[in-house]
Amino acid sequence: MTDAIVSMLVVTLVAGTPLLYAALGELVTERSGVLNLGVEGTMLTGGIAGFIVTFITGNVWLGVGAAMLAGAAMSLLFAIITISLKANQVAAGLALTIFGTGLSSFAGKEYVGRSVVLEPSSLTTALGQVPVVGVLLGKLHPLVWLSWILLAAVCYFVYRTRSGLILRSIGESPSSAYAIGFPVISIRYLATLFGGAMAGIGGAYVSVIYAALWTEGLTAGRGWIAVALVVFATWRPERVLLGAYLFGGVTSMQLFAQGAGFPVPPELMSATPYLATILVLVLISRDAALIRLNVPVSLGKPFHADA
Amino acid sequence: MELSRRRFLGGVAAGSVLAASSGLPRLAAADEVLKVGIIHQGAISDTGWEYYQAAARLALEAAYPGRVETTVIENILQNQDAERLFRQLASQGHKLLFGTTFSHYASLKKLAPTVKSAHFECCAGITASDNLGIFEARHYEGTYVTGIAAGRMTKSNILGWVGAFPVPQVTYSVNAFMLGARSVNPDAVVKIVWTNAWVDSAKEKDAVAALVAQGADVISGSPNTPVQGLAAEEKGVWAIGSTGDFSNYVKKAQLTSFVLDWSPAYLEAAKAVMEGTWEPKTRWRGLGESGFVKMATHSPELPESVLKEMQAAEQAIAAGKLHPFSGPINDQNGTQRVAAGSTIPDDDLRGMNWLVEGVQGQLGG
Repeated sequence: MTDAIVSMLVVTLVAGTPLLYAALGELVTERSGVLNLGVEGTMLTGGIAGFIVTFITGNVWLGVGAAMLAGAAMSLLFAIITISLKANQVAAGLALTIFGTGLSSFAGKEYVGRSVVLEPSSLTTALGQVPVVGVLLGKLHPLVWLSWILLAAVCYFVYRTRSGLILRSIGESPSSAYAIGFPVISIRYLATLFGGAMAGIGGAYVSVIYAALWTEGLTAGRGWIAVALVVFATWRPERVLLGAYLFGGVTSMQLFAQGAGFPVPPELMSATPYLATILVLVLISRDAALIRLNVPVSLGKPFHADA
Repeated sequence: MELSRRRFLGGVAAGSVLAASSGLPRLAAADEVLKVGIIHQGAISDTGWEYYQAAARLALEAAYPGRVETTVIENILQNQDAERLFRQLASQGHKLLFGTTFSHYASLKKLAPTVKSAHFECCAGITASDNLGIFEARHYEGTYVTGIAAGRMTKSNILGWVGAFPVPQVTYSVNAFMLGARSVNPDAVVKIVWTNAWVDSAKEKDAVAALVAQGADVISGSPNTPVQGLAAEEKGVWAIGSTGDFSNYVKKAQLTSFVLDWSPAYLEAAKAVMEGTWEPKTRWRGLGESGFVKMATHSPELPESVLKEMQAAEQAIAAGKLHPFSGPINDQNGTQRVAAGSTIPDDDLRGMNWLVEGVQGQLGG
């Protein structure tokens, strides 16, 4: 019985981790007022970069580093187009997704169907010795609980530091922030790069650890879910955690439910994670004040310094 | 000047169209090169559905060196694009065109009668029609034989199946798997988990975890990538390479496997076009000489006695003496579907929408 529960918990955490990374990155980006819809393409690019480097070097952390760089490079492209050249953010984000998907398929052509076999990390085996929680921690890659540390760091940064306050003020009213003298453009660039790097890690997690092999379109829409999760969480990091594990959990749980013989048609079970997300979004949106209080006011609008 | 040049060029174009459209698309001279076009929905990798299509094409090229020229187009996800490309290839002198997936079948059924300059063959189609031949594998013959291995090697008597979509081809495969297992182990059951995707590595891995949590110790399915086998290896259970051999990746856990060999279809069709004798045929074959299903590898841990049972079944099926779906067969609800002493007709297989007794799972709404 505990074996089954541990198994279910592991599956939930593993399924939710890429969503958590990508959504946290997107949250920081959106808090600065930039709407980056290119998360899916960035995740795939990070995924293939991480996969190729891990495949060649055998070192997961080098792969994760490469994925961060690839993700940041993709979002740098987006940042130049939308922040400096002031193009429409929605269109540029969609274009980035399509570009990233194609680029990852092209780069990954040699690697389709190949898999990466990893030694369990020494950190994981050490943690497995810890009493009680060790049973769970021993089955998880360090990237899973690193995402919790990241969550805590983002929470602290956004709400407890001066830089976080500046970030939020730029998201609310960039012209006022600019008038005070804050470097709006630079901070938006940094926020976008951070979002891209996190999406890259999320993609690398899927390709190197979760699935441990590469196929085209491996992330299967998780990037889009991450964008939705940021809204679901009303732009608050702690709720992103809830959303990521809810979605990841339901996705994996429906497979366990099928295995246990639940008398529900499998197609319906497949749809449950999306239904759950929509349900929560509807419940949140009923309170218009809640949304108004939390959405960054300048989200999606290009900033003109001279306006 | 311009008018006469235009008229001249127009005349040349009209003349060549007339010349090309006259007569059947057979080779004008014995030493003319046959141009064959093949369109793939996905990317060709080193395992999975597209790999075996490509392997058949390579066999064709090897059989007729210098006499066959192939044009391969990969990654055509949308049917509209595939349809357009088939037309384009036909207009560029390709006399034999292959569709490689069920999704091409509907488009080719419409397209083939209107494009007479080429002959069409579609893999995984249903029945041949005007100018369109189809070839499909009797997957169930392969899954029946692997079911024997699974039935013998399982200790928990629970087998797992990772299902993609509840379409007849998958349904008859899992039913045959159950029947094969029950032919040697009447207590075996099969649990199914549907992923609703032909390829979704993360979901497939979770599906294997879900099945193992239920006690399954042999996992089968319709894998296109090694992920199911690798996940099974991680959990310490057996995996079966159904329609694909992944022993390069799954070093220890692959119990046995069978592969799809489409080369007889490719070779027969090309030979017929070269000789001018092509006609639309429905090739639905399984095990045996010039069949499309070939048993592949088996683990060194598979006992001799089990291997002999599998080989005996394989030979009996190939010789037509054993049909995996010979009665009496009951479905999950206990209704008899195949009477004792009879075998299931082909049409019932093509439309199979029920699960055999012993399979635990739903087919969906």
